[in-house]
Amino acid sequence: SFKAGMDNLEATDESSFSVDEVSNIIKESVEDVIGTAHYSHNKVGQWTSSVIEQCVNQLTRLGKPFKYIVTCLVMQKNGAGLNTASSCYWDSQTDGSCIIKWENKSMYVIVSVFGLAV
Amino acid sequence: KESVMDDLSEENTFSVDEVSQIIKEGVETCIGTSQFQQNKVNQWTSSIIEHCLNQLTKLGKPFKYVANCVIMQKNGAGLHTASSCYWDNQTDGSCTIKWENKTMHVIVTVFGLAI
Repeated sequence: SFKAGMDNLEATDESSFSVDEVSNIIKESVEDVIGTAHYSHNKVGQWTSSVIEQCVNQLTRLGKPFKYIVTCLVMQKNGAGLNTASSCYWDSQTDGSCIIKWENKSMYVIVSVFGLAV
Repeated sequence: KESVMDDLSEENTFSVDEVSQIIKEGVETCIGTSQFQQNKVNQWTSSIIEHCLNQLTKLGKPFKYVANCVIMQKNGAGLHTASSCYWDNQTDGSCTIKWENKTMHVIVTVFGLAI
């Protein structure tokens, strides 16, 4: 796909981190795996694994020269406060991240993908 | 120093022990016995991460780092986190520390990827 008007970026689509592409991959995974399910303590482990597995599979299929870190957090909606933050020491020209916050009636899901050029 | 590892010197591998120390120090220093407070939480996560990245870069190893910090109030809610990495098994590594005090749970994860 074509990206218009971005200064100083010589990298082509094939070797840069695409937030849009990754964002879609994440959203699809969460919708597929969790969707409208109700929070369930004994399914949560399965859900996080499946979301992550689907993400890693789709990411590697993109065939880009990247290492990936994918994290998935699921929290029951129960009034508790939750704060998450991340910071990266990387190459700001080539590396990137995409974090998606998603929710349904009974839970919050936060998925992060970090892509680091090889 | 290290036992036989082909082509992998101490300077080029991720040391879980070293990183684990860094994380624990970071959390103890920034939070310690504090009570969960909505208006301080942002500051805490930032400080912990900043501490970790500073100490990690001081190690002077040829690595890129991703540090992640989660703080959750102890309120009975269920929380589950997982991560997966597509990397080089020989050189890359991660370290996750779960910590808690009376009012909150803190989970810090550091991923190190060799350049």
